[in-house]
Amino acid sequence: MTGLEFVFVLIAALTLFSAVMVVTTPNMVRAALWLILALFGVAGTFVLLNAAFLAVVQVVVYIGAIAVLMIFAIMLTRKVMKDSGPQTNSTWGLAALIAAALFGGLTFALTRSPAATLMAPDFSTVSDPVAELGRALVSPQAYVIPFEVASVLLLAAMIGAIYVAWKK
Amino acid sequence: MGDPFALISQWFTNLLLGWGLSESAATVIRLLVGAVILATISMLTVVVLIWVERKLAGRLQDRPGPNRAGKFGLLQPIADMIKIFTKEIVTPAQADKTIFHLAPVVFIASVLLMWVVIPFTATVMGANLNVAVLYVVAVGAFGVVAVLMAGWSSNNKFALLGAFRAVAQMVSYEVPMVLALMVPVLLARSMGLTDIVNAQSVWFIVAAPIAAVIFLITSMAEVGRAPFDLLEAESEIVAGYHTEYSGMEFGMFYVAEFLHVWTIGALLGTLFLGGWRGPGAETYPLLGILYFYIKTFIGYFIVTWIRLSLPRIRIDQMLAFNWKFLTPLILVVLIFTAILDKVLEVYAVSGWGHALSMLALNVVIGWATVQALKKVEKSRQRRRPEFPPRPVAVAPKSE
Amino acid sequence: MTDTTLVAEHPLLERFPEGVTPDERKGYEGFIVAADRLVEFATALRDEFGYDYLSSVTGVDYLPDGKMEVVYHAYKSTGGGALVFKVQVPRENPVVPSLVSVYPGADFQEREAWDLLGIRFEGHPNLKRILMWEGFAGHPLRKDWKEAYFEEEKKPFGSRWPGGAVHRAEDENPFGKNVVYPPDFDPEKWTPVGDEALYAGLREFKKDDDLKTEQVVVNLGPQHPSTHGVFRMVVTLDGETVVRLEPVMGYLHRNHEKIGERNTYLMNIPFTDRLDYLSSMSNNWGYVQAVEKLLGDKIQVPERAEYLRVIMAEFTRIVNHIFAIGTLLNDLGAYFTPMLYALEERELILDIFEAVSGSRMMCNYFRFGGVARDLPPGVYEKMRDLVFERLPRKIDELDRYLTENEVVRARCEGVGVLTPEEAIAFSAAGPVLRASGVPYDVRRADPYGIYDRFEFDVAVRYHGDVYDRYLIRLDEIRQSIRILQQALDQLPEGDVIFGSPKYSMRVPAGEAYGRVEGPKGELGFYVVSDGSANPWRYHVRAPSFINLTALSRMCEGDKVADAIIILGSIDIVLGETDR
Repeated sequence: MTGLEFVFVLIAALTLFSAVMVVTTPNMVRAALWLILALFGVAGTFVLLNAAFLAVVQVVVYIGAIAVLMIFAIMLTRKVMKDSGPQTNSTWGLAALIAAALFGGLTFALTRSPAATLMAPDFSTVSDPVAELGRALVSPQAYVIPFEVASVLLLAAMIGAIYVAWKK
Repeated sequence: MGDPFALISQWFTNLLLGWGLSESAATVIRLLVGAVILATISMLTVVVLIWVERKLAGRLQDRPGPNRAGKFGLLQPIADMIKIFTKEIVTPAQADKTIFHLAPVVFIASVLLMWVVIPFTATVMGANLNVAVLYVVAVGAFGVVAVLMAGWSSNNKFALLGAFRAVAQMVSYEVPMVLALMVPVLLARSMGLTDIVNAQSVWFIVAAPIAAVIFLITSMAEVGRAPFDLLEAESEIVAGYHTEYSGMEFGMFYVAEFLHVWTIGALLGTLFLGGWRGPGAETYPLLGILYFYIKTFIGYFIVTWIRLSLPRIRIDQMLAFNWKFLTPLILVVLIFTAILDKVLEVYAVSGWGHALSMLALNVVIGWATVQALKKVEKSRQRRRPEFPPRPVAVAPKSE
Repeated sequence: MTDTTLVAEHPLLERFPEGVTPDERKGYEGFIVAADRLVEFATALRDEFGYDYLSSVTGVDYLPDGKMEVVYHAYKSTGGGALVFKVQVPRENPVVPSLVSVYPGADFQEREAWDLLGIRFEGHPNLKRILMWEGFAGHPLRKDWKEAYFEEEKKPFGSRWPGGAVHRAEDENPFGKNVVYPPDFDPEKWTPVGDEALYAGLREFKKDDDLKTEQVVVNLGPQHPSTHGVFRMVVTLDGETVVRLEPVMGYLHRNHEKIGERNTYLMNIPFTDRLDYLSSMSNNWGYVQAVEKLLGDKIQVPERAEYLRVIMAEFTRIVNHIFAIGTLLNDLGAYFTPMLYALEERELILDIFEAVSGSRMMCNYFRFGGVARDLPPGVYEKMRDLVFERLPRKIDELDRYLTENEVVRARCEGVGVLTPEEAIAFSAAGPVLRASGVPYDVRRADPYGIYDRFEFDVAVRYHGDVYDRYLIRLDEIRQSIRILQQALDQLPEGDVIFGSPKYSMRVPAGEAYGRVEGPKGELGFYVVSDGSANPWRYHVRAPSFINLTALSRMCEGDKVADAIIILGSIDIVLGETDR
């Protein structure tokens, strides 16, 4: 095992452990903090893939914005410091089944898809991966349409949020 | 040979290799030692900063400042440190202990991590990341998380309110801050701080003064310094999220805050004031460090000066200022900067010509902003309430 | 002062042929109103006779007569003397109709009278203890109430020097055995009963918003950096917005009035220093004025002493206002810088106080019939230098730095608005009243001392917000400097005290209400004498206590951060609020 693999195993274990803790911790705020650790682990995985930009964006967006807003919402709506009720409700079995089916299906589909055999391009040969990424996002040959679609979606969400908040 | 740092690094690596360590192990150890030195220097800077800040505060407030411990009160930070180290760390009974004790560590880490990417000179820096600018924002996010952890785990209403305010403030000011950071990125065509410094043959403050000012304002809000110190407004919510902390745990928040302000100075210096650049800095890297520290101090001084001069704004005013003024303004600046930059590139204008054209653009945008603000100000003139003025109450003339 | 000869033909007697009689006791003034006619009487007084400002409400326990008396002092907000009216009720079951519906400013004062004297005000919306704690046994200002360590009714206590040896009551009465608890009271198991009811009263859940948000009850205080002492504001917050606010006070209560009634007349002068410890000179004057009214023409204040009184009182006003501006800016979050600039000037004035009285803050400078000492050499020049040179310059400097500051204006304008009608109704006084557009200043409206000789304007501002309350303090400092310049120019030579200083004096029986325009508002002293060496009743109309009546009205709907600056703009001193 090389040093890099060792680090990968470490980060993966941390990520998985935190993810499990997210769903098993009864305290909502603690669960959210575990979620942050899990997301941080994902960022670490990106770093190992030489995708520093993605790693940093992962931290900015998921930890800096989404997780923080989740904690914010939890703190605002829940009684401070009180552990919330049971971890499961009546449909937990069904939910577990669906989750398992989804996991199995995705695994099946991904292993069968041609993408599973593709090798990722080696980023270290690209002079500036950030610039490459930027060009890809706006190039008609690459991702400009998904990029714009996502922008429109976000814009719609933003307008919706403003509309909801506007009502006095 | 003008680079003592490269020499030392080389010597250290050779020493480790000489002990029979493998190359990669030597690299790991060298990086670890570097990290420890970097963190220690940053923390030691704070010791000096505490003295500087207290002395500055004293002079600005018509008083001498610390002058008892040592010459000019120079030993005051040492006394402060001894005091804070010997104080008891009190944990509230109902607190969430793990998170409570973890929060100051995360908080100080979030600040220390920023120093990884800041170039002291051309060769001395933690890591030359190609996404350094975003990285700075990303590790700043941990500060937010730490504030939330501290505020929530203390089980104290004031702490919780402080945390709420902190989140509202930090998350919203992050938007114009990132946009303001994009301007030097755009001008340098790189997110790496080294590249940005290298691109500043003319300091970016000339080409992007509005972005520089907005960056300064927003980062003051990120740190929570007056007039944006609502998250620890002592006249309203005691000490905000660190109300319940005592002893060295409070000290960690305190030190991290000082260091954060210093970091802002460093970022301002690096992004807009040419970083370590200066006459002779290329040949003598030590001179670069000196320039870098001077420029950092400029930002630090401005922040301190503002802190000691202005009262605090209210939370709704703070948010309105951000969303209704800073964000639209920096968006406009960013868009026009991008367009003009492209135009100038087409005409192959660079150097001072480029910088002065940018400056002209900024002046135009600034002038338009001031005009718009004047209009708003006029419409907001407060009117005297409409009731007839009462006569002055006087005693009736006695007959 | 109403002229006693006029009382007999007052039109009020025509309006109320029944139930209202002139008070004919010797040395007393005003009318005695039957309890069942009181509300009607007060309404007529306010609406028909123009006495729209209820300055003071207090009770007197006439133990020998078996009566409780509630004394009201009403004024016209257009100026002039007081109209005093009283209600007498039996001591066993003292019930008086509440006047809160007519004069909302009676709110806290009636609560205080209930708390300390046990007079029940029927119809009071919130009649509970205000200075003492819920569950306290008895009403301490009653003449038959005895405190722990009780020795004798009147000072000087003979028991302190039996045979010339110093003796302390505490030595005989060791700690832990000196407190009388009410029946069924165990201090170990006691929990503050008032608080739950207080919180429950503040919570309300009806909201027409479809977003369900929880309201938080936050205690600002008693230990809070911005309450200027141990003062508590219980605030219901919806987010950051104040829904309701209730001030809770009394943490510094020491029953100033009971102690004052045990003291001799002279002993009370240094005791008034401790009320508003920032402006002891004004406090002295209010008390001395009340006693001098009782003494009538037995005493004459020499000319020089009158001038010295004005000079000291105006310096006190500057000290107080400059300090108030400094602390207001601190509440606004300016990191001590304006405060320290302000304190520098304050120290220079305190130097003068120290030179003339021997103390910087607890001056104890006024005496019946004059002041304690003449100016030491060199002080006059110092004062001239301050008043003509330094202070005008420094006030302009403060003005330049603060008034047009964007953040100060954004924070203060339109915050904590009090309309002129509300200000009068709530019995607000001083800068709070005048910032709301009511140009009422006791120095002009009911002149005392020699204020009628000086040229000065009554400062007035019209918005009634925090910003105007800040501006009016600057205005008043400037007017004080004007008065000081005239007073220093005119200061005559001569004696500073009438006759020789006396330790004890006979004060004729009667009542008197002396009021001065203290820096914080109308400071009144109601003194009843029974002809002995100690006052029978000694009541303080504390402006910072009564100004707080309007606090919750000013704060509702504003942000929690505003509540703090609104409190700062009222400028309270807890030594006076809690007494």
